[in-house]
Amino acid sequence: MEVLLLKKERLNGFIEKLQQDFEVIAPLKGDVIRFLPLKNPDDIFLGKNAYFPIKEYFFKKNEVLFQFNGTKIIVPELPSKKRAFFGLRRCDLNAIKHQDMVFMNDIHDPYYTAARKDSYLIGYHCNTAPSPYCFCGSLELADYFDLMVYDKKDDFLVEIGSSKGKGMAKKYASLFSKTSKKISEEEKKIPGSDRLEKKDISLFYNNSDWKKGTDLCLSCGACTALCPTCYCFETHDEVKTSNINEGERKRNWSSCQLQEFTRVAGEHVYRKDREERFKHRIFHQLEYFKEKHKVPLCVGCGRCIEGCPTRIDFVDILNNMKVENG
Amino acid sequence: MDNPYVPRPYKVLSSARETADTFTMTVGMAVLHSPGQFVQVSVPGYGEAPISICSDSRKEIKLNIRQVGAVTNALAGLKKGETVLLRGPYGKGYPMKKLNGKDIVIVGGGCGVAPLKGLIDYVENHRKDFGQVSMFLGYRSPDDIIFKKELAGWKKKYSINVTVDKKGNTKSCIDAREGFVTDALGETDIRADKSAAMICGPPIMMKGSIGILKSKGFRDKQIFVSTERLMYCAMGVCCHCMIRGKFTCLDGPVFRYDEIMDIENG
Amino acid sequence: MGKLKVGVYGITGCAGCQLSVIFNEDEILDIVELVDLRAFPFIKEVNPEEEFDCVIVEGLVADRGDLKTLKMLRRNSKMLVSLGACACTGCVPAYRSFTLKENYEHLLYRKMEEIKDVEPTPLDAHILVDHYIPGCPPEKKEILSFIKGLVRGSIPRPYQSPVCVECRQNGNTCLLDQGKPCLGPITAGGCHAVCINGGFECWGCRGPTEDMNLDLMVRMLRDRGFDDKFINDRLRTFAGLKLPMLEKVMSGKAHKTETTFRGVRVFYE
Repeated sequence: MEVLLLKKERLNGFIEKLQQDFEVIAPLKGDVIRFLPLKNPDDIFLGKNAYFPIKEYFFKKNEVLFQFNGTKIIVPELPSKKRAFFGLRRCDLNAIKHQDMVFMNDIHDPYYTAARKDSYLIGYHCNTAPSPYCFCGSLELADYFDLMVYDKKDDFLVEIGSSKGKGMAKKYASLFSKTSKKISEEEKKIPGSDRLEKKDISLFYNNSDWKKGTDLCLSCGACTALCPTCYCFETHDEVKTSNINEGERKRNWSSCQLQEFTRVAGEHVYRKDREERFKHRIFHQLEYFKEKHKVPLCVGCGRCIEGCPTRIDFVDILNNMKVENG
Repeated sequence: MDNPYVPRPYKVLSSARETADTFTMTVGMAVLHSPGQFVQVSVPGYGEAPISICSDSRKEIKLNIRQVGAVTNALAGLKKGETVLLRGPYGKGYPMKKLNGKDIVIVGGGCGVAPLKGLIDYVENHRKDFGQVSMFLGYRSPDDIIFKKELAGWKKKYSINVTVDKKGNTKSCIDAREGFVTDALGETDIRADKSAAMICGPPIMMKGSIGILKSKGFRDKQIFVSTERLMYCAMGVCCHCMIRGKFTCLDGPVFRYDEIMDIENG
Repeated sequence: MGKLKVGVYGITGCAGCQLSVIFNEDEILDIVELVDLRAFPFIKEVNPEEEFDCVIVEGLVADRGDLKTLKMLRRNSKMLVSLGACACTGCVPAYRSFTLKENYEHLLYRKMEEIKDVEPTPLDAHILVDHYIPGCPPEKKEILSFIKGLVRGSIPRPYQSPVCVECRQNGNTCLLDQGKPCLGPITAGGCHAVCINGGFECWGCRGPTEDMNLDLMVRMLRDRGFDDKFINDRLRTFAGLKLPMLEKVMSGKAHKTETTFRGVRVFYE
């Protein structure tokens, strides 16, 4: 794919240009690193990946699906917003890809699509794994970006990944210079990120080692809230106090780690056991999604481990799992 | 493009009580569907509930609804001529075309008989495509028997066994024996070789019935079971209904037993 | 059909929960439209005590007068709701159960014969409770949702997932990571994690979740350097009476025990 050169001193100029045309979202450092609307390009922090994922910009924590008045339904306007996301790592870009598969391919979700379609994704390549929890190299990640910025000691190389990216390169052509350099497949690999050993985890469903995880599990749902790919949701209705026939149907994130996730009328909970819930997440991430979409859902960002109050490292648990007899 | 979350309005053609806590609603929704499929019924302010279609017609659908929660209780209040909001149909029903020429064994428990009624209606509409039909229907008590009127008609055409856990004092026009549906199933001579069995009911009853059918020579591929889970979207997205990677709303609610047999809790 | 007759009462408590009802300023007039707010002695002069469809009760049973009022309300109402931490779990006033009598004996009324104390206990220790709106103070919107649900025949299920769920969705980092003794993981949410949003750790005012991993919670607090006295005190401040298994967990001798909260049995292994 086409590659351009961006001089390091021109990065801020590029961001400022972007800010003229887009709302720019980038990783900023506060108590932790978060993707937030950018004011000053100097605030961008690229030393480590963001603690919180990018998904809330597309798959919102709370969304009004529609308003109702009796049986009359009013769907809210879904304006799309021109936004440029800067500093997305390979894992996060693939996470967007996987959520795109769910919300724009499996079904046509108008809410997600409206938030997503005018979004421009500008990646930032990790020269080395930014966190000890990373394992993206063990998963099947693809190139999925509009532009990708590679930090090469003296300069940035910018790879164009889509027609949207091409459009941006053209628009801001004065900032870039031509280069004969290419980005090889080898350069796209991230050293120190392949710690999840390849194995057929379907053989381990009943393994006793899962207890290592569940003994340390509070079922608090931090892992699923911080996961950039987890996309489970629930819906509920709220009515106005001034007119109880009027109200809204809302959608919000939910978590498979909670008993409430499978509770049906009559108080029956299908996945009551903590271990079943814990395994469900891992298997959905690594197996179930793959059965339908050919790639694992998990992108190896390690947020579920970093954000877990007890740092349950499922990668470690899986790596140490051995086939048991009987 | 259509918003897949938004239900559409349909007319309630009639609503009739079956038992103290169940009723059958006929809705003017003209839609192609196969037996075993379901619709998402909305009551604004209360939410949505998946309800299986218990009829086989292109002009309307019938929904047998048990009042177990806020949505179903609110639905009970809807009268003829009022509007009900629906979306669907969803899910994979019974593969009727593949079952042509087979004898049909139907095992239902309680309100699990509802989706099976859709299947029976289909068989009736395509009678020459199927062989013998035998039904085993179990209820808690004579008062809990749904589709009493239809039962009388089925009785004339098919082999029928109705059981009730406890007869009690109530008089019923239905000839039911006391015991479990699994007992009735066990005592009957049914040929496994050219049959397909459809089971729908409480997990314990499904489990028992599968065991009996297998002892009679049924293979896993000849048995179809229905699953029930909490669900919100019915489109394979919200994930609440997932059972080991399979979506109840997409890959089910009807599963061929060999597809989910390694999974506990049905 | 006439409007549902509703009463809001308080027994021993700080009246903060009743204030939470009133703090729905924008909607209080709508509430009066929705239901017949028959009795609300805290703000109303005339409060006929008759047949109620629902009474909402703040506070806990601390003396014989409370018990008499509570039993009267239960008799006169089809439905009774515990409002707030005192009514649901016993809250701070019930902490007395975990301290020695000589620590508080001198504070008891001696001369007033009519004030005879009862062991401070939440409402469900004495009568059947149909619904719980927990919290210290309870979430005012939750009270509204309940009243709307009551009118429409669709009472919302109590929030049973831990505080952490809303906390993380609000974009908070974990206070346990900062070494603070946050009880979010074992405490029922529904409060929008309001304390943690403000940087203050959860003290467990909404009571334990059905699914809590209490053993792990205790281990985590010990790992962070908190001693057993601190852990006991903190866990018992708001919901001590709903954690009868705590002692066994602390001594590492936990085996299957159970408690009840919100009409749901809580098993603990």
